[in-house]
Amino acid sequence: MSGGAAGAPKPLPSSGPKSLREMPHPLATSSSEEMGPALTPSPDLLLPRSIADKDLSLPNGTPVDTSSPASSSSLLNRLQLDDDLDVETRDLFVTVDDPKKHVCTMETYITYRVTTKTTRAEFDLPEYSVRRRYQDFDWLRNKLEESQPTHLIPPLPEKFVVKGVVDRFSEEFVETRRKALDKFLKRITDHPVLSFNEHFSIFLTAKDLNAYKKQGMALLSKMGESVKYVTGGYKLRSRPLEFAAIGDYLDTFSLKLGTIDRIAQRIIKEQLEYLVELREYGPVYSTWGGLEVELSEPLEGVSACIGNCCTALEELSEDMTEDFLPVLREYILYAESMKNVLKKRDQVQAEYEAKLEAVALKREDRPKVPTDVEKCQDRVECFNADLKADMERWQNNKRQDFRQLLMGMADKNIQYYEKCLTAWESIIPLLQDKPETK
Amino acid sequence: MESTEPEPSDSRPQEEEEEEEEEEEEDDDGAHPLPEQPLTAMEDCLAKKMEITVSEAEKRTGRNAMNIQETYTAYLIETRAVESQGEGQCAPVESLWRRYSEFELLRNYLSVTYPHIVVPPLPEKRADFVWHKLSADNMDPDFVERRRIGLENFLLRVASHPVLCQDKIFYAFLMQEGGWKEMVNETGFQLKADSRLKALNATFRVKNPDKRFTELKHYSDELQSVISHLLRVRARVADRLYGVYKVHGNYGRVFSEWSAIEKEMGDGLQSAGHHMDVYAASIDDILEEEEHYADQLKEYLFYAEALRAVCRKHELMQYDLEMAAQDLTSKKQQCEELATGTVRTFSLKGMTSKLFGQETPEQREAKIKILEEQIQEGEEQLKSKNLEGRDFVKSAWADIERFKEQKNHDLKEALISYAVMQISMCKKGIQVWTNAKECFSKM
Repeated sequence: MSGGAAGAPKPLPSSGPKSLREMPHPLATSSSEEMGPALTPSPDLLLPRSIADKDLSLPNGTPVDTSSPASSSSLLNRLQLDDDLDVETRDLFVTVDDPKKHVCTMETYITYRVTTKTTRAEFDLPEYSVRRRYQDFDWLRNKLEESQPTHLIPPLPEKFVVKGVVDRFSEEFVETRRKALDKFLKRITDHPVLSFNEHFSIFLTAKDLNAYKKQGMALLSKMGESVKYVTGGYKLRSRPLEFAAIGDYLDTFSLKLGTIDRIAQRIIKEQLEYLVELREYGPVYSTWGGLEVELSEPLEGVSACIGNCCTALEELSEDMTEDFLPVLREYILYAESMKNVLKKRDQVQAEYEAKLEAVALKREDRPKVPTDVEKCQDRVECFNADLKADMERWQNNKRQDFRQLLMGMADKNIQYYEKCLTAWESIIPLLQDKPETK
Repeated sequence: MESTEPEPSDSRPQEEEEEEEEEEEEDDDGAHPLPEQPLTAMEDCLAKKMEITVSEAEKRTGRNAMNIQETYTAYLIETRAVESQGEGQCAPVESLWRRYSEFELLRNYLSVTYPHIVVPPLPEKRADFVWHKLSADNMDPDFVERRRIGLENFLLRVASHPVLCQDKIFYAFLMQEGGWKEMVNETGFQLKADSRLKALNATFRVKNPDKRFTELKHYSDELQSVISHLLRVRARVADRLYGVYKVHGNYGRVFSEWSAIEKEMGDGLQSAGHHMDVYAASIDDILEEEEHYADQLKEYLFYAEALRAVCRKHELMQYDLEMAAQDLTSKKQQCEELATGTVRTFSLKGMTSKLFGQETPEQREAKIKILEEQIQEGEEQLKSKNLEGRDFVKSAWADIERFKEQKNHDLKEALISYAVMQISMCKKGIQVWTNAKECFSKM
């Protein structure tokens, strides 16, 4: 058991994926029972990654973040399941807002302001404000996928608008996108490993992101190799049960979300058709009112009332389109990218098993396992651990997100009916009114 | 033109001894609180003395006039005298069966016999303004049921009418099963029915139209048009609303399937799904209730036609009057010409007599005598026509005022009940979604 000063990482035996409860906290005292899933070590105990990480690198020497079981940030990842971090313990806040349209000779595009407030040591300043466009977010996401292949990277809103009829520069579209981009960055911020990613920091702080991007690209082209984590080509015989279960879960999950998306779209469509008829219905009462004397006011009242219901319905449909559908689609994309991560994991495992087999066939006398096979084993264990931890975090976040989403949907419907109720209740006295005798 | 003027019974409003302000609603469909107008004392109204219901409908087969087998629906009319001093003693219920065509016959008879009255309309012959779920089939049980209610409403309207309720044929319709058709035909009302009225859109120029009737006719046309439009759109609205609710039922199924793969979220999803099913099912009752509102509107759509008919009858009367006056004038002129020998106006007869020689004084005398007789007759006829016309206008306007009050009251009530229905629907919606929200919160 380790007791001890902050600073020195404690290497732990690499004995395969362990359950989280078995993993002793590097800062824990002799009594390990106090450890619980919600432990949150204070910020100043977090170590710079360069020291903490075991250096796994690509053949070309580029260091790759894999957060080995030994790194404390990786441990942190596995321990922090409860994302209801108090605001006080949080040390990084990111917001996306203030969309602006830029018209240039070559193109027109939107930028968003990304504001960062932080007390983290890695950042030179406590506050940053930069402007970023969609491509920059896309770049960030790719970089994260490359550099943190064992983790689940949150999804971005769709790049292209398939429907074609939607205006890329309409207020609604831009606002929907802004919310999604904000969510994207917040999810990264909340992730104990991803939030420390170098590319993420640059994204948040760099005045000229393009220069940095070019630098990265130049480096790559020099080396002429893709930064793929795994050298592919290996096929896994069978997926371990727990990951197969995750795979199955994600498959069904995507399917059900797809169905819900279709239902929601259908409802919106039916509501809009209902709205069309209502818009014709209300005015007929008004026309009738024009013919009458005593009934004129009541009929006008009914007409106005129906008009109010139309407005309420319009608001409901808009809300569902702007707030509900995009979140569903985000999660479908999320599930897709998670399935890809599962496949990558399979490949890592396949590589390991292949190499192990190759060694076994050679029948060497050496009892010791060669280094590169050992490295493969580490990679597998690492991947598995990260993935499991991320899955658990994802499940928890998903539950909260859907709870909020569905409650929001119920709320909007309640508000719609309340608006209509108010409208109809308010005309009852008007209808019951006795006119003055002529 | 010899015509027997039908004497409308009790067309003249009698002075009422006491004005009864009855605000109470009767239980039966269609009866309405009495207008604050001096008309025939309401105690005399049949609806007060007798309970009338159309309680059942039955499918029958029989042979019609052309000996062809046909299926039709018969309706059971039940009546019972209301005991004013009832102490648990109930008068016996009398009943008889009538089919729709007999109701039509009754109404036609009333229309012809009381041309100045806005005669209550029958429920529609064929299902109209239906939205997709409703059947347009006359034999459909829902249609038959709504027709049954409509027929009962018709009878109650007639029985509550101060003039119509006293008609003997109407009374016989309610009480006398056999021989009623013959009785109606014996009144000879079909002869009185002016065939010109059937050409509803035929125009004939009236030189001095009564402005009030012209305006009223215009109003009834507009009313028909606007209510038709309203009913059409309402049916479409109902259709769409049905669609919205029913699609929510799909949430029930998918939430259930989804809950199967979830651990903590499962229960919340499952129970929320159940509420979605409840929501989807609730629309059926909501729309069924709304049909009653549509039926109330339809009644006034058809009432508008009855109103228009009164205007048309007046128009026709006015036209006849003008024609008769014109005829009389020309006869007088002819008479004068013959008497004085001056030809003031050109006439073929005059010309031919000039060409082929004058008539003999005896011939002329004979002609003058005939004309004078005709003029005498004509003047009397014109006088009675004028009187008839004035009577018609007076009693028609009385009934029109009564109708206006009834219409305003009934339609207001209909709008209120519609608003109440909407309020109920909104409250149900709030309830269901609140329940669902609660389930989601437990996810």
